[in-house]
Amino acid sequence: MKHLLLPLLLLLALTACRDDDDVDMPLTETDLTLDFRAEYDGAPLGIQRDAYAYPTGDTLKVLLFQYYVSDLELLPRNGAAPVRLTDIDLLRWMSASDSAMQTRTFRVPEGDYAGLRFGLGVKPELNAQDPSAFPADYVLNEAEFWGPTTRYVFAKIEANADLESDGLYDTGLTYHMGSDSLYTTVEFNQPFSVRAGQTPQLTVVADVLRALSDGSDTFDITNPQQQAVHGGNQAVALDIWNRLAGQFRLEVQQ
Amino acid sequence: MVRLFVMLGLTVLLAAAGCREEGGADGVELPEEGAITGPNTPTPYALEVPAYLPAPVVDAENPMSVEGVNLGRRIFYDTDILSTDGTMSCASCHKQELAFTDGLNRSLGIRRLEGNRSAMSLVNLAFNPNGFNWDGDAPKLWKQAIHPVEDMLELDNDWEEVLRKLREDADYPARFRAAFGIDTKEEITQELTIKALAQFERTIISANSKFDRVVYQNTDFFTEEEQLGADSLFFVENLAPGVLHPGCGHCHNAPGFGDNKFHNNGIEDVASLDDFPDPGLGGVTGNRFDNGKFRTPTLRNIALTAPYMHDGRFKTLEEVLDHYASGGHNLENEDPNITGFTLTERQKRALLAFLHTLTDESLLTDERFSAPE
Repeated sequence: MKHLLLPLLLLLALTACRDDDDVDMPLTETDLTLDFRAEYDGAPLGIQRDAYAYPTGDTLKVLLFQYYVSDLELLPRNGAAPVRLTDIDLLRWMSASDSAMQTRTFRVPEGDYAGLRFGLGVKPELNAQDPSAFPADYVLNEAEFWGPTTRYVFAKIEANADLESDGLYDTGLTYHMGSDSLYTTVEFNQPFSVRAGQTPQLTVVADVLRALSDGSDTFDITNPQQQAVHGGNQAVALDIWNRLAGQFRLEVQQ
Repeated sequence: MVRLFVMLGLTVLLAAAGCREEGGADGVELPEEGAITGPNTPTPYALEVPAYLPAPVVDAENPMSVEGVNLGRRIFYDTDILSTDGTMSCASCHKQELAFTDGLNRSLGIRRLEGNRSAMSLVNLAFNPNGFNWDGDAPKLWKQAIHPVEDMLELDNDWEEVLRKLREDADYPARFRAAFGIDTKEEITQELTIKALAQFERTIISANSKFDRVVYQNTDFFTEEEQLGADSLFFVENLAPGVLHPGCGHCHNAPGFGDNKFHNNGIEDVASLDDFPDPGLGGVTGNRFDNGKFRTPTLRNIALTAPYMHDGRFKTLEEVLDHYASGGHNLENEDPNITGFTLTERQKRALLAFLHTLTDESLLTDERFSAPE
């Protein structure tokens, strides 16, 4: 028996030596922070506290900017399955105390990535859910739905505008958008690598002005027909929605 | 040999020191001063929530128990404990028959002096994740109860005095032990007292109105007028371009009929953000852009909770509707959904009829929420 002990220990030691290249090795994970920055014309968004020039020559103060993102994912460079960061999140700026930057932290596998993508809005399978299926403090139960039995408002822009140049921000602008047909995938093909201690700084930037005006095509906030866009008149909302979905930027600092 | 004696002596000494007297001089066990006896294992309490309401917010710092809820209910109604002169309790301003409001524009404290604001309804607080009171100054429900006890315009008491009465009471110490597992009267604290109150308040769930029966339970029908009110002005989705009224449901959406947020809803005609007589949320955050913002109250049981707004300025629902129809006062932090709109008499009657469907009659007599025997 005593003679068997040494060979057995040796065998154990050998079996413990696993090859680093083994495919079933668990991936090493690290924390990745992802920032979401809201802007107005390239400057950090100041809810209520900042007055902004609008291309029609008017001035406005933004009171609310928010949007849902679904299926936020990192895209591995080797073509492997995307790394899901979250199924759903709500980015909201509604207080003068809010920083223009909101930060989320995720545990992700180290590796090389080709980019990042998300669905702007609430993806159809979640959009079909009854909000009461979720806890009262969950992002899908923030009273951000059209009615008691209907679907979610994917994004909101609200502001008070001074259209008479009299210093009074007395024209309300409320743009509420959302329906399955508006759901849009936003994808960035900008490579980055994630390593422990060497994570990139990723920032998703959304600019309220660019959602309303891309320079050549400006949503006319002076038109009384276009100052409250809710629910049923999503054809009007489509104009804003397309610009909103098209203006996102990803900043990568490796 | 000497070492042996020393060791033996030490062993005897240790053994003697280890023999702790377990009883008094006569050998009978003496209770620790202020000790409480009786059951000390709380029974977990499961909130009864209908499927059409969301799961309540979980407060890990204040898990609910049957004993905690019972204790909170007893304190809630106990005038001897909470107020200086033994005349008032929480229930004095939160009356069950008025959906836990008091019918006053500003609540009256023990000196019959008006407080600063109207008493808010206590229904469905278990679903609020976002600050309590009109100004959101209490981040947790159980922290909400601290101030009313001390406020000179409310119960005007001293928490040390409240605790003294609780500890000296013949009944409460055992109830605290049953609810929180404490061993001595000294362990009865302000925190446990307000946590018990919050546990009871979380059970006050209102979800059996006509609206619930029509929309969720499928056991009733709206009248034509009620349906018109719901469709034409409350749950407005198919808004034609240029129509300004966004629908009451924007801030008072079902099933909660509130949005757990804070808004300037345009009721105050002031020259600037710095001129609000009551800053509301701004008084809590210190941010002038939050001045004049107040919590959106639930519209459940709204027909019972007059007068309306944080200061009770509107005596009737008609006055409230007239205000919203007239638009606000165009201040820069006013919610832009306050636009003003045309409200015909027929629409007003319809909207009022709909609002009355939000009354939960069963709440008003539910014995689980009534004063304990």
